[in-house]
Amino acid sequence: MGISTFTGMQTALRGLLAQQRALDVTSHNVANADTVGYSRQEAVLAASPALRIPAGAVQGGGAAELGTGVDVLAYRRARDGFLDLQYRAQAMRLGGLAAQVKGLEQVEVALAEPGENGISAQLQKFWSGWEDLANAPENQATRQALIETAQGLATSLSTLDSQMATASEQASAEYTSITKAGGEVGQMAEEIAKLNEAIRSSLVSGATPNDLYDKRDQLLDKLSGLAQLSVTDLGNGTIEVGFGDAAVPLVKETTVTWPQALSEPKGKLGTLIELASPTGTIASYRSELNAFTEELAKSVNAIHQSGGGPAFFSFVPGAAASTLAVAVSTGEVQISTTGAEGANDIALAIAALRGGKPDQAYASLVSRVGTDMSDARRSEENAQALLGAVQDRRDSTSGVSLDEEMTNLVRFQRGYQASARAMTTFDEALDVLINRTGKVGL
Amino acid sequence: MTIRITDSMVSRTILSDLGAADNRLALTQRRLASGKQLTRPSDDPFGTNRAIQLRGELEGTRQYRRNVNDGSGWATATEAALTRITDIVQRARELLVDGGNDSNGPVAREAIATEIDQLTESLKQEANATYGGRYVFAGTATETRPYELGAVDTYAGNAGSVARVIGAGVSVSINVSAHALLGDGQGAADNKLLDVMRDVSENLRGSTVADSEALRGTDLKRLDTNLDELTRVRAVVGATANRLEAAGARLDELEESSTDLLSKVEDTDMAETLVQYSTQKAAYESALRAGASIVQTSLLDFLH
Repeated sequence: MGISTFTGMQTALRGLLAQQRALDVTSHNVANADTVGYSRQEAVLAASPALRIPAGAVQGGGAAELGTGVDVLAYRRARDGFLDLQYRAQAMRLGGLAAQVKGLEQVEVALAEPGENGISAQLQKFWSGWEDLANAPENQATRQALIETAQGLATSLSTLDSQMATASEQASAEYTSITKAGGEVGQMAEEIAKLNEAIRSSLVSGATPNDLYDKRDQLLDKLSGLAQLSVTDLGNGTIEVGFGDAAVPLVKETTVTWPQALSEPKGKLGTLIELASPTGTIASYRSELNAFTEELAKSVNAIHQSGGGPAFFSFVPGAAASTLAVAVSTGEVQISTTGAEGANDIALAIAALRGGKPDQAYASLVSRVGTDMSDARRSEENAQALLGAVQDRRDSTSGVSLDEEMTNLVRFQRGYQASARAMTTFDEALDVLINRTGKVGL
Repeated sequence: MTIRITDSMVSRTILSDLGAADNRLALTQRRLASGKQLTRPSDDPFGTNRAIQLRGELEGTRQYRRNVNDGSGWATATEAALTRITDIVQRARELLVDGGNDSNGPVAREAIATEIDQLTESLKQEANATYGGRYVFAGTATETRPYELGAVDTYAGNAGSVARVIGAGVSVSINVSAHALLGDGQGAADNKLLDVMRDVSENLRGSTVADSEALRGTDLKRLDTNLDELTRVRAVVGATANRLEAAGARLDELEESSTDLLSKVEDTDMAETLVQYSTQKAAYESALRAGASIVQTSLLDFLH
C-alpha cells in the first residue's frame, strides 16, 4: 500500500491547527492574567497516530510508521489540589482571627484606656471627690460635685457595658445575615450546586470545563473563610462539600441543604458564634465588669452605711454595670458616723479605697482586653503571612506569567509560520507534479 | 525546582509590602502626632496596666497635696489664734500681778477688773477663729460657734478630731479643741482660762483679804498653769504644721517622679520615634520606587 501524495499537506494542516489552538490558549491566558481565581491553561500537544506502512516500506523489506504531525491531546488546567487544601485551612484561620480582631477592637475602643476619659480616670475623680468632701464636709457644693462625679462614673460604666453588649449583638447579627436562607452561604452553595451540574454535563459530552472548575474552586476559597470545609470528589465531576459541623453536607452533587444549625464551625462563623455566646469572650468581659462594679458599689456602700445611713449606690446584682445609680440625694450623703458638721470619718474611709480592690479589678480587666487584643492581632498578622505564602505557591503553579505567555506567543507563532511554510513547500512540489510533469518537448 | 514567578505574585507581594510599610508609618505618625506611645491597651497590655496604676497614684498624690494645703491653712489659722490668745493671757497676767498689789485702791482694781472682763471677751472671740468659714476650735462641730460672747461661758463645740489624709493610710489630726484651753467657765470650776479669768475679775472686785490673797496666790498660779498649757498646745500645732509642710514637699517630689514615670510609660520618645519615622519613610519610598519599576517592565517592552 502506497502513501497518499497529500499526506504531507495533511501533516502541515495538523501543525497549523495545533499551533493555532496553542495560540488561542495563550491568548486566553493573557486575557485572564488578572482574573481572580483563574488557573493558567495549556494545550497539551502530542504526535498524532502514525501511519502504518506494511512490509516493504524500508530497505530490507520491513514495515514502518510514518509520523502524521501533531494533535491537541487536552487543554490542561495548571492546578495543585494539595495547595488548595492548604489555602483553605489558612483562609479559615484568617477568617476567624479577622472577625475576632474586629469584635475585640470594638471593646478596646469602648474602654478608651489609657486616657483622660476612661473609667479609671473617672474612678480616680470619684475618690478625689470623697477627699474633697472630707476637706470641706460642711460644703453643699462639694457634695453636689461628688454626686455628679459618681453619676458620671455610673453612666460611663453602663455605656461601656452597653457597648460591649452591642459588639456581641453585632456578631450575632452578622452570623444571622451570613447564614440565613438566601444569605452568603446559601447563595454560594446554590452556585456550587449549579456548577456541579454544568461540570457533570460537560464531562459527559467529553469536554474539560476548566473555567467552570476555576469558578467552583473560587467559591470554595470564599466559603473556607467562613467555616471549616471538607471537599470530597464524587468522581462524576461533582463534589460534596461538608460545612463546619453541619449534620448534612452543604452541597452534594446538585442538592443544597441549607440553613443548618452550627455549633463550632470554626472560621469566621465560629468566631462570631463565640463572640455572641453568653459564655464567650465578650460575655466574660461583661461579667468581669459587673463583678468590678459590684465590688465598687459594695465597698463604698459598706462604709457609707456604717453610720446607719442609706446605701450610696444602688444596683441590680448580676447586672451591676448597667444598673448602677447614685441612690442618695445631696442631703443624704454620709460624711461621718457622728453627724457632726465638721466630722469626716466616712468620707476619709471611702477615699482610702483608692488604689484598692476595685481599682485593681478594673486595671486587670483592661489589661486582659489588651492582651487578648494584641494576641488576636499578632495571630491575624501571622495567618495573613501564612496565607500569603500559600497563595504565592499556588500562584507559582496556577498564575499567569506574562513573560512566559509572550514567549509562548512567539513560539507558537513561529510554529504556525513554519507549518505554513511546510504547506507551501508541498504546494510547490505538487505544482511541479501536476502542472509541469508530462510536458517534455512542448 | 525554581519557583515560577507570576505577575499576580509580584503585584501582590508589592502591594502587601507597601501596605505593611504604610501601616508602620501610620503607627509612627500616630505616636508622633498624639505624643503618646500607648493609645490602646493592645499597644502594650503590661504598660497600660502600669499607666493606669501610675495615673491613679498621680491623682492620689495631687489630692493628698490639696489635703495638705487645706490642713496647712487650718494649722496657720489655729497658730495665729493661739498666738493672740497667748498675748491676751500674758496681758491678763500683767494686770493680775499689778492688781494683786494692795497699793491699788478699789477704784484702780475696778478699772483693772473691767479690762480683765474685756480680755475675757477677746479670749472667747479668738476661740471663735475661723478658717474658710469653719470654726477651727469647735472640734467637728465646725459650724457651731464655740463660745457665745457675754456672760455664758459654756463650750458649744465637741471633742471631735478633724483629720486630713496626707498619704495612703496616713491621716493627721489638725484641730485643737478650745474646750481644753478655755473650759466651761466658773460654773464648771475646771481651772481653765475662762474659769480663772472670771475668778480674777471677781477677786479684783472683792474687797476681802482672802480676795487679795487669792489674786496673789491661787489665781496667779492657775493662770501660769494655763499659760504653760497654751505653750504646750502651740508646740503641738507648730509640730503639726511642720509635719504638713514636710509632707507637702515630699508629695511634690512624688508627683514629679510619678509624672516622669508615667511619661516614660505612656509618652512617645520623640527623638527615637523621629529617627524611626525617617527610616520608615525612606523604606516606604524605596518600596514605591522599586514597585513602580518592577511592575512597568515586562518582555512586552523588548519584543518587536
